Amino acid sequence: MAAATATSRRSRIPGWLGWLLPVVAIAALVSLFLMFNPIGSLRELPPVEAVAVERTVLDVDEITLEVRNDGPDPVTIAQLLVNEAYSSFVISDPKLDRLESATLRVSYPWEEGLPLGIAMVTSTGVTVEHEIEVAALTPEADGSTIAVYALLGIYIGVIPVAIGLFWYPSLRRASKRWIGFFLAFTVGLLGFLLIDTVAEGFELAGRTAAALDGLSLFALGAVGAVAALAAFEQLLERRRDSRSVERTEGSPVSGLVLAYLIATGIGLHNLGEGLAVGAALAGGEIALGTFLILGFAIHNTTEGLAIVAPLGSDARRPSLWHFAALGAVAGAPTIIGAWGGGFAFAPAWAALAFGVAAGAIAQVVWQIVRGMSREHGLSSGLGALGLMAGLLFMYITGLLTA
Amino acid sequence: MGSIEGNFPTQQSSGRVGRRRFLRRMGATSALGGAALLGGHEVLHGSGLITHAQAQESGGGQGDHGDGHLGGTVGEVDNERNGFDPHEILTDFDGGEVSKDSSGRTVREYEFVTIDKEIEVAPGVFFPAWTYNGRVPGPTIRATEGDRLRVRLVNASEHPHTIHFHGFHSASVDGIPGAGESLPGESFTYDFIAEPFGTHLYHCHSLPLVQHIHRGLYGAFIVDPKQGRPDAHEMVMVMNGFDTNFDGGNEVYALNTVAFAYSKKPIEINAGELQRAHVINVTEFDPINSIHIHANFFNLFRTGTSLEPDEFTDTISMGQAERHMIEFTYDQPGNFIFHAHVTEFIDLGWLSAFEVV
Repeated sequence: MAAATATSRRSRIPGWLGWLLPVVAIAALVSLFLMFNPIGSLRELPPVEAVAVERTVLDVDEITLEVRNDGPDPVTIAQLLVNEAYSSFVISDPKLDRLESATLRVSYPWEEGLPLGIAMVTSTGVTVEHEIEVAALTPEADGSTIAVYALLGIYIGVIPVAIGLFWYPSLRRASKRWIGFFLAFTVGLLGFLLIDTVAEGFELAGRTAAALDGLSLFALGAVGAVAALAAFEQLLERRRDSRSVERTEGSPVSGLVLAYLIATGIGLHNLGEGLAVGAALAGGEIALGTFLILGFAIHNTTEGLAIVAPLGSDARRPSLWHFAALGAVAGAPTIIGAWGGGFAFAPAWAALAFGVAAGAIAQVVWQIVRGMSREHGLSSGLGALGLMAGLLFMYITGLLTA
Repeated sequence: MGSIEGNFPTQQSSGRVGRRRFLRRMGATSALGGAALLGGHEVLHGSGLITHAQAQESGGGQGDHGDGHLGGTVGEVDNERNGFDPHEILTDFDGGEVSKDSSGRTVREYEFVTIDKEIEVAPGVFFPAWTYNGRVPGPTIRATEGDRLRVRLVNASEHPHTIHFHGFHSASVDGIPGAGESLPGESFTYDFIAEPFGTHLYHCHSLPLVQHIHRGLYGAFIVDPKQGRPDAHEMVMVMNGFDTNFDGGNEVYALNTVAFAYSKKPIEINAGELQRAHVINVTEFDPINSIHIHANFFNLFRTGTSLEPDEFTDTISMGQAERHMIEFTYDQPGNFIFHAHVTEFIDLGWLSAFEVV
């Protein structure tokens, strides 16, 4: 350690101070900037005003908006237009500093099923517009609506996934070639969900208050999910190695572990889906039709198939409670998502949730592809066909929910 | 938004503003020379003075208008801060500085200073206006047919401006780029004879024209016929709009600039007294504006250029720069609203009311 002692002698700075020095320096710079505002002369521009509407609540003859200043400058909300008419309103605090939020209430005899255009007029005359596509009563979080949203989650998440799990007995009897086909089908299906999740996550990121940077939240969720699942998988692997349980052919993890990983990825996707459907329903963007629910149900049934696909080649049949657990992991988050979306939706949190889902799905896809054997993999004839079939099937059933 | 019916203030229109206005008017007139006072302001302002003196006598006190009113905006516009009050603009006829030239012709001299100024067009909503003498609409010029007008434009703003009068004048004082445009820091005097008689307007004609008009450079230019008109309570109503977010459409519509100014505090008029309103449309971006009075009809004098009415109606539409003189009388006391019958403008500020006493 001669070199090290020489260095410390030369600099004569204790180690901890060395770490602290840059921190002190940046703190000093920040203080100086805040005190003297040296670039003030560069910014003699009109204020940049931006307000994001984070939540809309429609009550009988009353509209409530939760708004946040997501621009760089303070904003004062001076007047409110509802359907192009100045309307009397009450606001908790009309002057919003950067990132500050406020609640705005307006009495307005809005009509069910018609669009509502709301525009806030700031003190500088800028208008911030917010469109409610289809006005509908915002559900209150009471017993019956909580039950309705739970039922929604069960219809579009839990039941379809559970139904899909019943493909397991047939898969057990299938040849290796066909199991390869169904694994490839699962990859296609998850690939479709991944694209869907990323697209929806980006859209939510766009709706997030700009200052909160929804895209970063999405990325944070995605990378975090990949890292967490990788660590989780390694943990499982270590435990299994010590017990030396048989392995799926060529796969680094057992079929059951892979099934759980797939169920987790799908569950996180369904959490996001529940959020989106719940929020859209509460926000009046969609009307809850039978067709829409059936669409989601058919769409999601294939998710059950995806979960049991890696179990097909396992010699032993997992005990029944595993199937119940797999179904719960994949389907139940839809209920939680629907509640979250319906009663406490915020685009920032949703963007984060979609990021987590995207990361989880990507990780699971990678896991499956890694485990597939060469001769029955994606590049085999039947494998490629399965991949295409998975994508196509999701596309077609997706049309039902569009 | 509150319902239209039954939301009128129950107490009498504030006497406080009337008194303040009265005092200011007295101060303004006494500051002028005696001859000018007789020849100009005093005569022109006669009816206005009487009305407001009466309002003061009847002692309405400080009416409480907080209990609900017409119009959907929240809060009040600060007239002091704006430097002008829509209720004063209504009856603020400016005869200028009056003298006689060698031939005995009445000469009216004005000084218009263009000032860039932020004005409050709806409570809390500020608009970067360009103004003549710090107000929108600019001063109401009032002359008699044949008077000589000398209007000096002093440009204290950051852009070139003109005053273009609707009326007869020579090409050299047309008030367009190249003929009467004054650059920032410069001045120009428009010298012409006021004719024909009628309800007219003036506005800036520098380019780009939409900006120069819409930002607030316009006003009423009233020329009385030589033989005069019957006594009446006269008002100037400039129908205007403001594109506060500069997207090519107005967010605020009004009479004399401030949204809902006359619905939140109705215009007090006397039952049985002839009312004469000079209604001028300077609304930008919308091709048509209109006026409709409730529970009454008016005699319409198109452009105010005749002594006999052209029509008897209760609604009249006007294109840009169109203007008419309307006469009506309310026989019964009560509150009567009047507004644009381009109904979308009502919800955006062009809603007014008379309180007939």
